[in-house]
Amino acid sequence: MALNDVLNEVKEAVLSFDSEKTVEAVKKALKAGLNPIDIIEKGITPGLQIVGKKFEEGELFLMHLVAAGEAAKKAIDQVIQPELLKSGSERKTLGKVVIGTVAGDIHDIGKNIVAALLFAAGFEVYDLGKDVPTSEFVKKAKEVNADVVALSALLSTTLPVQKEVIDALKAAGIREKVKVIVGGAPATKEWAEKIGADGYAATATEAVTVVKKLLNFD
Amino acid sequence: MPGGVLRGKRLTFLSNDELQRIHETTVEVLENVGIKSFSDSITKVFADAGAEVDPKNKIVKIPENIVKEALKKAPKRFILCGRNPKNDIIIDNERIYFGMGGTPTPYIRDIETGEFRRPTRKDFADATRLGDALPNMSFLMTIAGAFDVPYELEYLYEYEILFNNTEKPIVYPAPGAEIAKYALKMASIVAGGEEELRKRPILSLYGEPPPPLMITETDENLIEYARLGIPIALGPTAMAGSTGPITLAGAAIISNAGSLTAISLVQLINPGSPILYACWVAATDPRTGRHAYGSPEFAFSTSVINSQMAHYYGLPCFGFAGCPDSNYPDAQAGAEAMMMTLMNTLSGVNLMHDCGYIAGGDAGSMEMAVICDEICGIALKIARGIDVNDETLAFDIIREVGPCGHFLSHKHTLKFLEKGEIYIPKLFKRLSKDEWIKTGKKKIHEVARETAKKILKEHFPEPLPKDVQQKLTSVLKQAEEKLRTSK
Repeated sequence: MALNDVLNEVKEAVLSFDSEKTVEAVKKALKAGLNPIDIIEKGITPGLQIVGKKFEEGELFLMHLVAAGEAAKKAIDQVIQPELLKSGSERKTLGKVVIGTVAGDIHDIGKNIVAALLFAAGFEVYDLGKDVPTSEFVKKAKEVNADVVALSALLSTTLPVQKEVIDALKAAGIREKVKVIVGGAPATKEWAEKIGADGYAATATEAVTVVKKLLNFD
Repeated sequence: MPGGVLRGKRLTFLSNDELQRIHETTVEVLENVGIKSFSDSITKVFADAGAEVDPKNKIVKIPENIVKEALKKAPKRFILCGRNPKNDIIIDNERIYFGMGGTPTPYIRDIETGEFRRPTRKDFADATRLGDALPNMSFLMTIAGAFDVPYELEYLYEYEILFNNTEKPIVYPAPGAEIAKYALKMASIVAGGEEELRKRPILSLYGEPPPPLMITETDENLIEYARLGIPIALGPTAMAGSTGPITLAGAAIISNAGSLTAISLVQLINPGSPILYACWVAATDPRTGRHAYGSPEFAFSTSVINSQMAHYYGLPCFGFAGCPDSNYPDAQAGAEAMMMTLMNTLSGVNLMHDCGYIAGGDAGSMEMAVICDEICGIALKIARGIDVNDETLAFDIIREVGPCGHFLSHKHTLKFLEKGEIYIPKLFKRLSKDEWIKTGKKKIHEVARETAKKILKEHFPEPLPKDVQQKLTSVLKQAEEKLRTSK
């Protein structure tokens, strides 16, 4: 099978929003001798970009973006990453984002959508989950050399923890190294400014725009 | 007090078999999938009652018999009182009432400029006074938050303002056990003692166990209110396609599970403690991921599914009026508010809130509150139906007036006009186009704004006695010392 066809199969698998199909197609591509970085850049990424474009045009919806992102992530994590580790190479991404819902808060659907969209947009995303201890944000940001720390909170009672995370980043001496964005229903632009965050977004798609802007990708 | 009764048959789309399937599937989920409890005290209540607990994963599996017993014990009828007894309302599954606002909104639409800004204690007080004046609002929540206060105390400041600025029943959140205790303490002071508060509860809790299938430390407020037998209103909302299956029936299972969990918890703590049922399903907007208030799915679920399941259980239910997604009091806002209000009214939902919300709940709007008050009046008029009897059939009058006559000045006309046979709008206008042009081509939200401003200028509820005011302030101070950690 021509290498182009194999790459096309990877792209189509992403476009079918099917994790299993994508994993299989990527495995097939590796077997066919393709370079893991090429599989991402010429198979997976074009698939995600088409989904992104169709979403912007109103033809596809958030659920498709999340599903395509998850399919791509599964294939990358399960199949590509081990290959890359073997050869000691790293995939190119737009940047590293550590994301989570702050301590004491178990709401995560918005955060999950943001994480999926950031991944689909080409960022490396480290999703710490929900009810994340403040120290975990700092630890992970240091560990992976994060470019962005993204904080979500849904309750007016947990919103203030976003400030605690910023203070913890300062105390750890890495505040200057990361951009912090905040979100969640009780969060506002004014709140973000008040606590010294670098950005705020009201919806998931706006979050991606803000992150891109903060890292000078627009 | 207003409100009314739905005279005709409730909207019923679902058959009894379908309602039964929804119930049975929910029970299956509670028994086999379980709920995740992030609260040790809540877990303990269920464990002591015989629920299966997996402590490592914090999963509580609630057996059917606990749910069955709870549904038997939950009262079918109870009262919610105002500071002024003339505002008392009876909550059962027949009477219908509207309420202004909901949980505190992060923004308010400025009444002068129409711009969105962060609301303050003054806005919260104004919102309360507005709701206290609006004739079709039978209970109050809010269309503003009070954000110029230390965040740990936001809700307690809000309670202080509520008690001071309305004589109507209050339905309001009090997240977590600590805040709940202080809120109940303040309410007891206003009511004249804890025993008085139990007899005449001037507030109801509003709580939202988070979907899918979770209960948290925030929900420990249920324990505090249940202990005292103070009413609780629930708002479990699965978002179809994100925190619940995209199919509304499946998402209803998630929301119903939330309600049944809370109802079970409350009845285990204090059998017979009053609680309103709810089963709400929101659409996850496929473009923005937002909770779509103005969606037909939300309208349908909060009205039909909600009310039909509530009747299946024999319990009163909590639902919606108003609440557009539109960011402006425009045609979309009007359409969404009317859809929500009529659907809920015609389904006989007992307490309907969110009048005055706008922007999908991100903001409150005084104009929208006034517009919704009118919409609620219209809905109540329709709900009243008509009487068909000798007097209303008016055979004698028809014979008297005869062919080619007129009825304008007949005693019968005047009598029934005074009885409200024709609804007379307070806000909406029916001008001829020439009159409309002559009077300045005003848009209705501009007229609503003038109405709101007039109310704010003129309407002040009976103030609390000075000593009660002082006691409330001192509870607030106590709370500040105990709870405030920020600068």
